[in-house]
Amino acid sequence: MERRNKLNIIYDILGVIQKRGEIKKTHIMYQANLSHNQMKLYLDELYKKKFIENTDSEKPLIKITKKGMDFFKQYAQVLEFEKTFGL
Amino acid sequence: MRIVFTPDWFLGHDVLIDVFSFIILFLFFLFSIKGYRLNKNKRLLYLGIGFLLISLAELSVILTKFAIFYDTTLTQSIGGLIITYQVVSSLDIIYYLSFFFNRLFTLAGLYIIYKLPLKKLSGDIILVTYFIIIASFMFHQFYYLYHLTALIFLALIIRNYINVYLKNKLVNTKIFIIAMSLLAISQVMFVFSKISYLYVTSQIIQLISYITLLILIIKITKNGKTKQVKHNL
Repeated sequence: MERRNKLNIIYDILGVIQKRGEIKKTHIMYQANLSHNQMKLYLDELYKKKFIENTDSEKPLIKITKKGMDFFKQYAQVLEFEKTFGL
Repeated sequence: MRIVFTPDWFLGHDVLIDVFSFIILFLFFLFSIKGYRLNKNKRLLYLGIGFLLISLAELSVILTKFAIFYDTTLTQSIGGLIITYQVVSSLDIIYYLSFFFNRLFTLAGLYIIYKLPLKKLSGDIILVTYFIIIASFMFHQFYYLYHLTALIFLALIIRNYINVYLKNKLVNTKIFIIAMSLLAISQVMFVFSKISYLYVTSQIIQLISYITLLILIIKITKNGKTKQVKHNL
């Protein structure tokens, strides 16, 4: 099985978040197939890049930002392009 | 010797087809570079260079045909007695140079696209470069030599991408194979392009091939917006 690189992991995390709309950290961990430490590291980076943010609700939920969504769409196109040409 | 076998009634229309081809090829170049900037995959960069070379080849032929078109119009409007589609001597150098670079860039671009799905990118480069230059250089003596070389490259590209399709089963790859097959058919017809209707037919097939590539771009763009590509989740 092919190893995921950093960008692919970020893409997978954003994919999980955008699919659910609002999501708990633990759900991201399970659905993106990450360890707790990995998840923390990646979420910190996504917060820094303003790709994700916390919701206003009382529960600690995460949602994707417009910037995060733009990156997600662009990267999805690139992956589709790469797959088309077998790169 | 004539290299452009465009019948007089088709002159101008073929330039439009070339402009359309150029735009599509340049879009593929932009897409590849966008991808490379995002994930630094060098193969995307090479793919971009491949498409850029072929688009530059199209651009050079557009400029030349444009010059021929205006030159012919001028000849017609001035004399009306001697109508010739031979290039006047002032255009000769530009004419030959641009067609040389058209052939050279197209074959080089096709070779890069052929090589990309292979694991090993290097190998036989000097030999292939030599043959590409020879095929491009000999175009005015043996115009069909370029079309035959392009046909061989396209056949190799089709073979490679059929292998890619067998692995990924992606409709997009199938569309790319169809587009390349149409281009290959157009190259076969270009070999006989001294017969004017075959020249026009091959141009139309080329246009259909680039429309297919446009459909591929639209599909990739749309899918990227709506579908998530899975990554071993």
